[in-house]
Amino acid sequence: MNEKTSGSDYILEMENVSVDFPVKGFTAFLKRQKISAVSDVSLRIEKGQTFGVVGESGCGKSTLANTMIGMVKPTAGRVTFKGKNLFELDRKSFKKTRRDMQMIFQDPFSSLNPRFNVHDIISEPLLIRGDATEEEMKARVVELLELVGLSKDDIDRHPSDFSGGQQQRIAIARSIILNPDFLVCDEPVSALDVSVHAQILNLLTEIQEKLGLTYVFISHNLAVVKNICDRMVVMYLGKVMEGGSAKAIFDNPRHPYTLALLTAVLDTDVDKEKEEIILEGDIPSPIDPPQGCRFWQRCPHAMEGCKNVPVPEVEIERDHYVACHHVNGFPDTDLPEGYDRPVKTEEAERKDKSHPLKTEESVESKTDA
Amino acid sequence: MNREQTNENMLAVRNLKVVFPMAHGVIRAVEGVDLDIKKGESVALVGESGCGKSVTSKSLMKLLDTPPALMRVDDITLDGESLKDYSEKKMQDIRGRHMSMIFQDAMTSLNPVMTCGRQIDEMYMRHQGMDKKEARKHTIRALELVGVPEPKSRARNFPHELSGGMRQRVLLAMAFACMPKLIIADEPTTALDVTIQAQVLDVLRDMQRTHGVSLLLITHDLSVVSNIAETVYVMYSGKIVEKAPMKELFRTPYHPYSEGLLKSVPKLSDEGKQFVQIPGSVPHPMKKPSGCYFHPRCPYATEECRQSMPPLEKRGEDRLVRCFHPLKHDAKEAKTA
Repeated sequence: MNEKTSGSDYILEMENVSVDFPVKGFTAFLKRQKISAVSDVSLRIEKGQTFGVVGESGCGKSTLANTMIGMVKPTAGRVTFKGKNLFELDRKSFKKTRRDMQMIFQDPFSSLNPRFNVHDIISEPLLIRGDATEEEMKARVVELLELVGLSKDDIDRHPSDFSGGQQQRIAIARSIILNPDFLVCDEPVSALDVSVHAQILNLLTEIQEKLGLTYVFISHNLAVVKNICDRMVVMYLGKVMEGGSAKAIFDNPRHPYTLALLTAVLDTDVDKEKEEIILEGDIPSPIDPPQGCRFWQRCPHAMEGCKNVPVPEVEIERDHYVACHHVNGFPDTDLPEGYDRPVKTEEAERKDKSHPLKTEESVESKTDA
Repeated sequence: MNREQTNENMLAVRNLKVVFPMAHGVIRAVEGVDLDIKKGESVALVGESGCGKSVTSKSLMKLLDTPPALMRVDDITLDGESLKDYSEKKMQDIRGRHMSMIFQDAMTSLNPVMTCGRQIDEMYMRHQGMDKKEARKHTIRALELVGVPEPKSRARNFPHELSGGMRQRVLLAMAFACMPKLIIADEPTTALDVTIQAQVLDVLRDMQRTHGVSLLLITHDLSVVSNIAETVYVMYSGKIVEKAPMKELFRTPYHPYSEGLLKSVPKLSDEGKQFVQIPGSVPHPMKKPSGCYFHPRCPYATEECRQSMPPLEKRGEDRLVRCFHPLKHDAKEAKTA
C-alpha cells in the first residue's frame, strides 16, 4: 500500500490523506482544537474489485468515503480518480468526473424523497444531466427497475409504499442510472433486517458482475465484508490498523482490534466454542488523538510506549499490512525527541508469550514518511 | 435467584390480538399470540420488521394507543396477577416496578433536558417513595452495576453528553432500578456498533442471570439470540410459527421460515460470494395471502398450504410448530435426543 507502482489498473488512489475538522473551544483562551477524522490514509483501489472499509462508528469511514468522491476536501494528501487529482479539477470537469462515481447510503428511507414517485427518484440524475428525452428516461427507469428486482408497475408508487429492502433497491437503481464505474456503498444493509441483508448483498454482487463496477464497501460487520471484498482496510479513530488482501487478513488476522471485531461477530452456531474478546470502553474522542497508536486505551496488549511512539504500517506478508507495536515490535529509529526506546512491561511480555497469533518471524520494519 | 421455582410462569399471555382499523381496511398486526415466560427465564421473540413483534411487546405493557389500536386478549397474567382489566392508573404502578422496558434507540427514549441521574432517580422516588438524596445513592449504585465508569459524575450528565453505548447502559440501569419481575427489551442493540453490542449484551445477560429477572428479548437478528435466550418464539406476519428451546431451534429448525432466518445470517465461516436469502418480502399487513402466510416465500409449499392455515402443533417436548410440512432432521434429532 505504501510503495509506488506504475500502471493504470487503479481506479482510485489516495496518498497520505488527512481530514481535520476544526472545533470551537469553549472559551477564547483555549487553543483551537481540531478533530482528526481521517489521518494519513493511503490506499489504492483496483478496477473491478470490491474494497472494504471496516470500523465502528466514529472511526472516520464515512468521512473517508466522502473524500473519495470529492464531497469533503482533505486537509492534506491527494485523491486521484482515473489518473486525475480530484481537487485540482475545475468545477466543470469535476462535475463530469463526479458522474462516474456514485454512492448508496445507509438508510434508504431518509435518502429517498418521500414526495417523489419511483420514476422521479430514479430518473433525477438523468434529468440533471439533461440530455435524455422523456421516453428515453422512462425506458431506462423500467430497465433498471427490472435489473434491481422490482416490477415496472412500481414506477408510480412512492417510497413509503415499499419495505426497507425494496427502498434500498430503488436507491441502488438511482445510483447506477448514469453508468458509473465506481460505487461507494456506505453501510448499505445495516439499517435493514438481517433476513434482507442477503438479498441486497446478492443484488450488489450481481450488478457488479453485469456492469463491471468497482465497489467501496463500508461496513462494521466483518462477516459481510469477508464474503464480498477483495481487499480491505480496518480503521480505528481515523487511522488504518490493518489492511491488504481480504483473504490474508481473514486467514491471519494480527491486529488486536481486528481480532476483537472478529470475535464480536455473533454467530448462529450454538455448538461452536468460541473465545470472546470484549473490548472495554468506547471509542475515545478524536480531538487531539495520541501521537502513537490510537487504539492503546482499549487494547488488551497495550505496552508502555504504545501511546507515544508513532506506529508504522508494516507489510508482514504479501499484501497484508499491520500497524501495531505489539505485532511488529517498536521501530529502532525515528523516535520522537524526548522519548527513550520503550520497553515491554513484564505483564505485556507474559501476555505476548501467551498470544496465540504471535510468531517469531522477523518482519522488516518500514517507518512511515 | 429463584431457580427452584422455574416451573412457574412469570408471564402468561393467552390469545392476544391487536388490530388497527384503517380507512382502507383492517391491519391485523397480532393474531392470537400465546406467550409463556417462566421465572428467571430469558425468552426471545424473533421476526422481521412488520411481523408484529413490537406491537406485541407494547401491548403487554399496555402502551399502545387505543384508538387507533384495538386490543383483545383472553388473559395476561404477571406473576399470578391478571393485568387484563387493569386501569391506566394501576398500570402506571406496574410499569417500571414489576415490568419495565428497554427501547431500541436510547437517544429518543431518554429525556434530553433532564440529567441521566434525575431520570433514574425518578424511578426510586415514584415507585419506592425515596427522597432525592436516597434515590441518588441508589442511582449511582445502579449505574455502577451496569458498568458505567465514574457513575457519580455520569449521573450529572445529560443524555447528549454520553456515547450510544453509555446511553443504552443508562436505560439498562433504569430498567433494572426497581428489580422488576420482567424486563422487555425491544431491539436493545440494533442501533449500536458491534463491539459495543457485545458489551451491552454481556451486561444484560449478567444482570438478568444474577438477579433472576425474566427477560423478553425482541429482535430480528437470530445471532443476538444465540448469546442470551433460552427459549425462542419465531413470529411471522402476526402469528407464532415456531417455539423451541434456543439450542434445539438453532440445530434443528422445523419451520422453513426459521431455517431461512438462520441461514440468512452472514457468517465468518461462509465461503464464496453468494449469500443464502429468503426470497420475497413480508406480506403487506392488509393483504395477507390465503392459507399459510409464509407459502409464497416457502420452498416446500403445496396446495394444502395455499388453502388453509396450519395449526400451531406440538412436536416433541417443549416445541411448537405451525407447518404442514415441518423439516426433518432425522440424523441430528437422534443425536440430540
